[in-house]
Amino acid sequence: MKLVQIAGYLGSGKTTLILAISKSLSEGGQKVAILVNDVGEVPVDGKVMQEYGLEVKDIGGGCICCQVAGNMRKTLGLLAKNYEPDITIIEPTGIAVPNAIKEAVGPEVAKFQITFGPTIVLFDTTRAEKFLTYETLIRLVSTQLKDADIIALNKVDAAPEDKIEYSQESVQDINPDAKIMKLSSRTGQGVEEIIKAVRDFTA
Amino acid sequence: MSMKSLTPRERVLKLLNGEKVDRPPIFSGMGNVIVPVLDKFDIVFSKVHRDAELMAKAAASMYREFGYECAVVPFDLGIEAEALGATMNFYDGVEGLLYPTMQEKCVKDVDDLVIPSDMANAGRIPVVTEAIKAIRKDLGDEVAIGTYVIGPFTLAGQVKELDDLLEESFLEPDKTNLLLEKLSDAIIKVFHIYKDAGADYFTLREMGATSDVLSPRSFKSLIKPHQRRIISEMPRPAILHICGDTNSIVEDMADCGADAISVDHKNCITDTREKLGPDVIILGNFDPVKVLHQGKPEDVGPAMKASLEGGADAVWPGCDIWPEVPRENMEAMMSALK
Repeated sequence: MKLVQIAGYLGSGKTTLILAISKSLSEGGQKVAILVNDVGEVPVDGKVMQEYGLEVKDIGGGCICCQVAGNMRKTLGLLAKNYEPDITIIEPTGIAVPNAIKEAVGPEVAKFQITFGPTIVLFDTTRAEKFLTYETLIRLVSTQLKDADIIALNKVDAAPEDKIEYSQESVQDINPDAKIMKLSSRTGQGVEEIIKAVRDFTA
Repeated sequence: MSMKSLTPRERVLKLLNGEKVDRPPIFSGMGNVIVPVLDKFDIVFSKVHRDAELMAKAAASMYREFGYECAVVPFDLGIEAEALGATMNFYDGVEGLLYPTMQEKCVKDVDDLVIPSDMANAGRIPVVTEAIKAIRKDLGDEVAIGTYVIGPFTLAGQVKELDDLLEESFLEPDKTNLLLEKLSDAIIKVFHIYKDAGADYFTLREMGATSDVLSPRSFKSLIKPHQRRIISEMPRPAILHICGDTNSIVEDMADCGADAISVDHKNCITDTREKLGPDVIILGNFDPVKVLHQGKPEDVGPAMKASLEGGADAVWPGCDIWPEVPRENMEAMMSALK
């Protein structure tokens, strides 16, 4: 089972991208599970949610504390054992820290042959200044970006070119190793490229 | 009284009151309930959070079965948010064991937050108070009863979307302050309700205020004033716990005025001791997941000792104990100081 994380601030377009990726992978014959923050937004039936605890809720108010990490470990274990997905996409809460989630998975990696796909962090280019200048947001946004394998500059259809450039330079400064992609979940620009990255990525 | 005759309760309370003890107590102020105890009484995990009798039995058994020097209730992190109107998912039908989580948040704007006039009977608070009373009846004065309440910032993130909260705290800090003030009022009330029920020591758990999420400057301006106020008005002894990376805020934590501070394994306890000097009581910080849950019995003693040598004043796991801790590891923890 390959674990793919799609993180980013509230409203950055995570759910839309997750649905696009899972649809495409399913159509390609892969079995996909989605572990999300709010089941209400994605088509997961109530029974599956009850059985596997498919929500990643922010009970720790931002802390992937022991209870949150344990719940995630258990849910992934149950999914792997009973549902056997090829790919599980995790949408952590808007504030979660991707590396803490990797750490939380811990020993299940060996037990259920879990591999890590890419950690994709979405960055909403239309709100770039806000994320990069608000004192109370910078820390969280940078922590997320630093953990990314791929930073997807989202909503490029709605942002002026100078904002996109500013976003690109700023996020690359924060994480020089991440691959930067331009994305518009609305028009579909870049979606195929991200799906390909999810398929091909090896840690 | 000679030191040798200390009961676990005396040992814990003396330590927290800054008095000398015969040895560091082995205890916690956070959740701890484990499967061998649940199995012994046929307790279903998802039910233990909603039944005072089961909760008390499970908590007291950590002492009875293992000699763990405390009985702490509750076990989950949603008591206060639920009492304020959030709904919880207890995962009743789930195979295995999951902690309850928030289902629906209840606050968009600060005006949405209504503090119940009868807090003592709101949500599952009466379950906790009844459990405290039942533990006292069961264990008498032998063991200290600990309890915890979630800190104002973490609680705010449970009742309101956290991203919104962070954004609002920048754009409209007065609104956020008002929310945190109202939540602080509720938190102080809950602590006193638990005190009246007979609890002995009190942990304010501000898990979400980690430096991974908030800069030290934001911690200082946004959260610290509220924590200071809560700690000045809550019952004693009081412990302030923050999870995750706390290295850059330990001085501010100590300055909040609690009797002890508690940190987890991401804190460098040696540095913390050096920064805070010999007089501040520091609790922590071995990793309850990697060491106690996933480690081997022979890993447990060295990890505990490393914390003590680094400057911790007690054997105190850095977070909740995950319920699937093997019996042997629990026993290793209890015998490591002998």
